[in-house]
Amino acid sequence: MIFSREMTNSFLSVEDGQDRLLVSVRGNWTFPNVLVLEDATASVMPRTGQAVTFQCAGLENIDIAGAWVLYDRTQQLSELGNKSELTGFRAAHFKFLRNIIDAAAIREYEEPQVRPERPKVLRGTVENLGRATSTHIEDLGQIARSILDGVRRPSLIMIGETIKQVYQTGVQAIPVVVVITFLIGIVTANQAAGQLEKFGASVLVVDLVSISITREMGVLLAAIMVAGRSGSAFAAALGVMKLNEEVDAMRVLGLNPNQMLIIPRIVGLVIALPVLTIFADFAGIAGGALIAVGSMGISGLQFVERVVYSTDLVDFYVGLSKAPVFALLIAAVGTLRGMQVKSSAEELGRKTTTAVVQSIFMIIVVDALFATLFSRLGI
Amino acid sequence: MEAIISVRNLVNRFGKQVVHDGLSLDVQQDEILGVVGGSGTGKSVLMRSILGLQKPTSGTITVLGQKIEYHKPGPSCCWGVLFQGGALLSGLTVQENVELPIALNSNMPVETRHELASLKLLMTGLSLSVADKYPSELSGGMRKRVSLARALAVEPKILFLDEPTAGLDPIAATEFDELITYLHDNLDLTIMMITHDVDSLFGVCDRIAVLVDGGVVVGTVDEILGSDHPWIKHYFGVPRAQRARAAAGGSRRE
Repeated sequence: MIFSREMTNSFLSVEDGQDRLLVSVRGNWTFPNVLVLEDATASVMPRTGQAVTFQCAGLENIDIAGAWVLYDRTQQLSELGNKSELTGFRAAHFKFLRNIIDAAAIREYEEPQVRPERPKVLRGTVENLGRATSTHIEDLGQIARSILDGVRRPSLIMIGETIKQVYQTGVQAIPVVVVITFLIGIVTANQAAGQLEKFGASVLVVDLVSISITREMGVLLAAIMVAGRSGSAFAAALGVMKLNEEVDAMRVLGLNPNQMLIIPRIVGLVIALPVLTIFADFAGIAGGALIAVGSMGISGLQFVERVVYSTDLVDFYVGLSKAPVFALLIAAVGTLRGMQVKSSAEELGRKTTTAVVQSIFMIIVVDALFATLFSRLGI
Repeated sequence: MEAIISVRNLVNRFGKQVVHDGLSLDVQQDEILGVVGGSGTGKSVLMRSILGLQKPTSGTITVLGQKIEYHKPGPSCCWGVLFQGGALLSGLTVQENVELPIALNSNMPVETRHELASLKLLMTGLSLSVADKYPSELSGGMRKRVSLARALAVEPKILFLDEPTAGLDPIAATEFDELITYLHDNLDLTIMMITHDVDSLFGVCDRIAVLVDGGVVVGTVDEILGSDHPWIKHYFGVPRAQRARAAAGGSRRE
């Protein structure tokens, strides 16, 4: 194979000096030129065993990318058995190259460490999973214990904070919960009206709306609304406090953050959600009434009579009894997820999302369990 | 002299990464100990371990004769901590933040508590106009001062400072250094201070603890400067450190 070893382009020129290939490097060895530089250095082809010298005195500029290309080629040549060296660097340029060489040295140093671990990946994963689970259980136990301690001996600060939470999670949520259940009442009544009219049983719309709202929809909608509103607020607030080291500061001051932060939120929500549920029930039935009276020709008095006749207080209690359980779920999930935030803003977002999704999911699962339980009990 | 904080054979491991490998350290009464080290050498982990905020893999820590256990109440009456970002409780005003530790550790009447808190705020160079503000309304430097006021609220014996001058402008940082020296001289404080600020290190600290190789090298400023350890030589050999040393040479208190 015969081709010229003498070559020239704007970045380097090659001079064949028998036992040594002299490469003069020049121009701008910088990031935008990397592709061209790689081609240029790849075209430096010494004979077997021939040493290569890169003379860098003509360099105008070099950055890390450019230095890397140069360094990488000398390494490749060394692997092919060609001794290669870099000469004539100006001090400033050499510093760049040193960075590259150090980085490369570190990379090579780490590689053998990683390889032997590969067969143990599965084992490592299982071990980590086990360790994470046991820490989680331990944390959970510790939190549960400090909460029980705190409930037994509530402090004044906690009571004030609880009242604040009732206001924020309950009172402030009344408008949105009322509007939503009112609308759902309208939707339910409308849907039922079309079907029940076919059987000439329009008046049963009232039964359907009042029973479904009091037993299921009222509490469920209020809980889901609160999960979105307050579950996320709990997780985010506690998460930020963790990130700001506020939680640590409390511990150092001798306060127990689990007590100070979690108890008021749980207790506050357990008080607030049942109250919201009552509002939701009335708003939902009012929505049904609007349709029944407005477009189905049922009189207001008839509506009230029918509600009283069809809906027992038991139905109302069935719905209401679920509220504290849902509240506990929402508050526990929200606060625990918040306390799990450790280091980053991204994690905070993730935990907040998890808090909302998990609490809504658990509300619906628990609601299904309740439904089964109540039907078994014949309530 | 008696060791106020004593750390024995502390090991902290995160996965495969060993941060502390049998670290032992004594902090003496009335000294200002500066803690330095490269990234990942566990300066904060050490402080958090001492405060009971971090569960060490093994080792024992005693502060003022009390054994420190993870997430158990420590000697909260006798230590104050200045976290890096201040870590003021965001739901409380400045005044309430400073009053909180006083309320937790005493039965003082409200007026006394209030006055004491105001005094601490003044002592840290704040005007009382900030007292009713919330932490979010303050600048970073002011937050640090409030946090220092809170740390000093219960007249602690030990003060922990996590990078007190980080993020402050040079004037504020110098003032902060002077403040710390002043407080130390006047309050019988033992101070443990993590810092990367070489000016503070030379200007304020009695001894320096350098975290290297999973352990610690402790000594007076001169001893540390004479150390043969390559990282220490490198750290104190950079021009920034040299200048700070020259600047502190004349003014350092002995």
